Amino acid sequence: MQIGTIESIWRYPVKGMRGEEVPHIYTAFTGLMGDRIYGVVAADGDPGHPWHTGRDQEEFVLYKARYESSEELLLPQNLGASYSEWKPGIDPIYPDADAFKVNVETPEGATYDDIENPAFIADLEKLTGRSLRIHVTQRGQFDARPVSLISLSTVAKLGEELGMKIDKRRFRANFFVEWDNQDDPFYELSLVGKTLKIGDRLEVAIVERDPRCTMITLDPDTAEATPKLLQLLGRSHGGDAGVFAAVLQRGRVNQGDPIFLK
Amino acid sequence: MSQSKGSDCGAGPSGNASSTDATVKSFRLTLDSEDHIVPIAAGETLLQAALAAGIDAPHSCTEGRCGTCMSWLRNGDVSMASTRALSKRNLKRGYVLACQSRPSSAAPIWLDFDL
Repeated sequence: MQIGTIESIWRYPVKGMRGEEVPHIYTAFTGLMGDRIYGVVAADGDPGHPWHTGRDQEEFVLYKARYESSEELLLPQNLGASYSEWKPGIDPIYPDADAFKVNVETPEGATYDDIENPAFIADLEKLTGRSLRIHVTQRGQFDARPVSLISLSTVAKLGEELGMKIDKRRFRANFFVEWDNQDDPFYELSLVGKTLKIGDRLEVAIVERDPRCTMITLDPDTAEATPKLLQLLGRSHGGDAGVFAAVLQRGRVNQGDPIFLK
Repeated sequence: MSQSKGSDCGAGPSGNASSTDATVKSFRLTLDSEDHIVPIAAGETLLQAALAAGIDAPHSCTEGRCGTCMSWLRNGDVSMASTRALSKRNLKRGYVLACQSRPSSAAPIWLDFDL
């Protein structure tokens, strides 16, 4: 039974920085290709969450990170073979590390051709007063689960309750969706424990609600904070918005793909 | 981590009040433009005291991670077990995490959720 549609697909080359919308993406057991490949680790960070993000430096959400080989990082070259010949449990081989090279533009307009250029970390350390380093892995760096999903109806309803228009990008999801169900704006919360098929191949288990933090208070264009949004979630919605998913069957997802309840 | 804020002084970590103070028996709390006087028992956090008083204080994880209970310490001194959900900017503003905050001096506390 079709229950909705993929409205847009987003990945975040650097954890905490601005994301990029993509027309389609390969989603592996480890998440979307190219999602949160880089992270900035703070020496004084919490051992369980050492990342330097907008929680520490609000303007970090304004940093623009771009893959030089963005197109190359949407689909594995041997995607067809992965579907027809590979046994379940095996992911296609990703491109070599060089293909994941990311350039960064700061809110002030400074540019770095490679986030691993020592000048980037040196300048960020000078700005923040923290001891920082880049951590990179091709398999993504997530707080909880490899895939996140939220509906436009959730975003709109929260805005209505708050009395302000809310930019969906605050929620930093991988999949923004539109539900056919028009009665429950928070419909995705009812899907915890259910399995969804997205497009032709991808299957995900919705495993838990997404507990939110101060990241959603930050305007993605100005980094101005609206703590009332997080307060609203805490007081009226259990602190949650959207859901996390685990990948059961990998596959390509396209913008506009249907979502089925299995 | 301690936080000290007087009503006329700049906000910021004080570094001079790291232990809890049991002499504070109540504190002022502002939420939705309403003032409340909240009783607080020894060892309680400001959030625990507010919830025990029946106040719908914003909160979620209660472990200092999410920042939902972030509020403005307009007066008084608190010690916080964790400040990890507070940015450097918010610490300088005098913001605290109510779930992590316990009184650390006898100074009257005024906690404001109307950020």
